[in-house]
Amino acid sequence: MKTLCVSLLLAICSTAVSAQDVTARLAGRVPPDVATLVRQLATSAAARGLPVDPLIQKAIEGSAKGVPADRVATALRGLVAQLDVAAAALRDAGSAQPDTDAIAAGAFAVNAGLSGKNVTALAVASRPSNSVPATLRVASTLAAMGVPPAETVELVTNVIDAGGSSADVLALPTQVMAGVSEGRGRGVTPAQAAAGLSRAAAARANAPGQNKPKHGRP
Amino acid sequence: MSGREGAQGAQREGDGQVVRAILAGDTERYAELVTRYRDRYARYATRMLGSADAAEDAVQDAFVRAYDQLSQCRDPDNFVGWFFLILRNRCFAERRKSKDVAPLEAAGAVIAVERADVPVEMDERRRALQHALLELTPEQREVFVLKHVEGLSYGEIAERLNTSVPSLKMRMHRAYDRLREQLRGRE
Amino acid sequence: MTVNEFHPQVKQLLDGELTLTDLAPELRAEGEEALRLLGAVDREPVAFPGLDTRILAELRRRRATPGLWQRLRVGLRPWTLVPAFAAGIAVALLLFRPAPTPATTVTVRFVLFAPEAQQVALAGTFNQWDTAATPLIRTEAPGVWTATLTLPAGQHQYAFVVDGARWVADPAAPAVDDGFGRRNSVLSL
Repeated sequence: MKTLCVSLLLAICSTAVSAQDVTARLAGRVPPDVATLVRQLATSAAARGLPVDPLIQKAIEGSAKGVPADRVATALRGLVAQLDVAAAALRDAGSAQPDTDAIAAGAFAVNAGLSGKNVTALAVASRPSNSVPATLRVASTLAAMGVPPAETVELVTNVIDAGGSSADVLALPTQVMAGVSEGRGRGVTPAQAAAGLSRAAAARANAPGQNKPKHGRP
Repeated sequence: MSGREGAQGAQREGDGQVVRAILAGDTERYAELVTRYRDRYARYATRMLGSADAAEDAVQDAFVRAYDQLSQCRDPDNFVGWFFLILRNRCFAERRKSKDVAPLEAAGAVIAVERADVPVEMDERRRALQHALLELTPEQREVFVLKHVEGLSYGEIAERLNTSVPSLKMRMHRAYDRLREQLRGRE
Repeated sequence: MTVNEFHPQVKQLLDGELTLTDLAPELRAEGEEALRLLGAVDREPVAFPGLDTRILAELRRRRATPGLWQRLRVGLRPWTLVPAFAAGIAVALLLFRPAPTPATTVTVRFVLFAPEAQQVALAGTFNQWDTAATPLIRTEAPGVWTATLTLPAGQHQYAFVVDGARWVADPAAPAVDDGFGRRNSVLSL
């Protein structure tokens, strides 16, 4: 009950604060029309419980890269859509009010090529022992490295199921990269390296005596 | 090597004074220690880790950690000996980790710097020995590096590592055999 | 004593306690082999110019964070090194990671091979994409540029900016669409 009150309070406060915050952070960094658009998008996004920070970052990035305002606008709208997809995916995973860090991480995963369903599966697998945002970020990195979405989800899920800690999950991109490097002469792809790690994890999870963590369901 | 540091005259303060000054609040003076010992163990770290890049990171990390833990340096006059142990731990830890991952060289190291002054065949043999060294345990590699690269005597090594000469010799003789095995395997 | 073990006298030779002429004639060949092994030892001095500047810059950066100095005096958590991975063109990321508790900051070194460049900068989410904030410096190896930063744990996007105008993703790092038709590199700490 106390947590609910606190989070409602925070939600109200953050919406009220964000308008000033947005203006301050954009000042001098983006042209006025972009700033106006960001404020509009940020207000409606915050009202839906979406994080505003990614929008601000993206606007600043576009301006720094010298991208014309209309192109920035398109990118920002696309980002809002990704945030919405991520939020929906996390709600499907059982979060009534997904936290903004997880949504941001989910949107990034979507940008990296994962689907809403992938995000849901990863969120479900993460609970209760692993951090959802951290898991999503690792999955994004794997996808960005070229591991196909299905293999990414399978690898991360198998490692968590085998009792993997956050540190084990965090180490996955390095391990996949190592697998690719070691197999360079044989043309090992990231997908293959990931599959190898995945099999090993699955074997650990199914080994006798394993206490498989239950996840997702209350 | 702490004995060899030797006084360079009245101009330079001993490490102990500098350390005490830093702990008293004059933190900028850590720069003196860094400049003094920046390269002191560069070669040791490079031979231990097999790569100058990895060694540079290890040395940087050791200096930062020494700064963080400076209040735990029990003998400020022997800062360099204490610093060596921090670096040593760091070198040992690095190998432990990278046992699971392909070592930097095998992963396609950043730059293959050819030394123009060394004949090709010698370069190849040096590389082979360095590679063989990396196959030893860190303890074996270390005694080999300290004696045959750094030129310390068994007595000096024993003092620095707080161990006995016989146990060092045992370690070293195992290292000799393993190196021979590695190098012969490559012929 | 197996085939690969040196004779004890040869080991004494290696230790510098005997000379080649002290060895029995049947051990000479083995003694010579042993000395050739020692001859392959690399004793070249190694130096790290510029490292002191980087170390001091790193320490100043960390002390600039309010409240951190007190923690520094007590002693921070031990660090271990996450090994580097390098692939493709000569670009590597080297990570320092505090362990075993979750990291709050990590030191990262960025490297780019850009022999034609006059200047190289790093821009990303950690510096508001400011192309002037983080210039890379030339290293001794021709064409190799580098910068070292301490970054908070989390996920960062970045790219290199060559000669002020050309945006280049890190060839060795995972890449994602930046939404503007280019790619950003991803760094997860």
